[in-house]
Amino acid sequence: MFCPNCRTSNLDNASICINCGKALTSNTPHSYTPPPPPPRANAGYAPPQPSSGESIPNYLVHSIIVTLCCCMPLGIVGIVFAAQVNSKLALGDYMGAREASAKAKLFTMIGFGIGLVGVVILFLMAGASIMEAVRVAMENR
Amino acid sequence: MSRWKIASVIVLGIIGGWVLYTFPPVTTAFYPQCTFRQLTGFDCPGCGSTRALHALLHGRFAEAFRFNPLLFALMIVAGISVPSMLRGERPRFLYTRWFGWGAAIVIAGWWIGRNLYR
Repeated sequence: MFCPNCRTSNLDNASICINCGKALTSNTPHSYTPPPPPPRANAGYAPPQPSSGESIPNYLVHSIIVTLCCCMPLGIVGIVFAAQVNSKLALGDYMGAREASAKAKLFTMIGFGIGLVGVVILFLMAGASIMEAVRVAMENR
Repeated sequence: MSRWKIASVIVLGIIGGWVLYTFPPVTTAFYPQCTFRQLTGFDCPGCGSTRALHALLHGRFAEAFRFNPLLFALMIVAGISVPSMLRGERPRFLYTRWFGWGAAIVIAGWWIGRNLYR
């Protein structure tokens, strides 16, 4: 087993760590806690841990940008799911947070896709007049 | 954030800023139009941002605020986020309950409100 303090490999029946002397607890299936990551040189920065929910993105910024820049009601749906991610993370419901995160991503992506296609279609429909507008703008500036 | 990302944001910002400063959106047709407004005739929560940014670049703050006050809220939020984004971290407040639900309520309310009272 590995020491939870310094991650030194110890014998399975050892009671204290051979390296740092900390007490070792045996891993029973019911009370298993993953060993903490080894101490890092840059102590101020904590890398995201997949088990703690820290790594679950809420896509809040993405959905706000889709709502404002692509003008899509789907963006609001994305924001609501992003807010649900935050609520569920606060409650420790990581499974629910992950589901809400996937939905926030889905609606944000659909909103972005529709918004992009819409802008391109409008742009092409007005293609000739836009080229004329660019020419006039360059002459008049 | 990687160095390339920061560099491309700055370059795109300068190009975009120059285009926005030089060509007024009201009289220039090449800016992308809002799909939602073209389809429904209603303003979306982002409508007026292009005109607001143009006014802002010319120092006309009151006019910019009239075009889209939400843009100012967004810029404040973006400004607060920059330091932690440069460190490659997620800004903490984006993961709080009050900010998530607050953003949903403010944006949805602004969307409905601006179309009711215009």
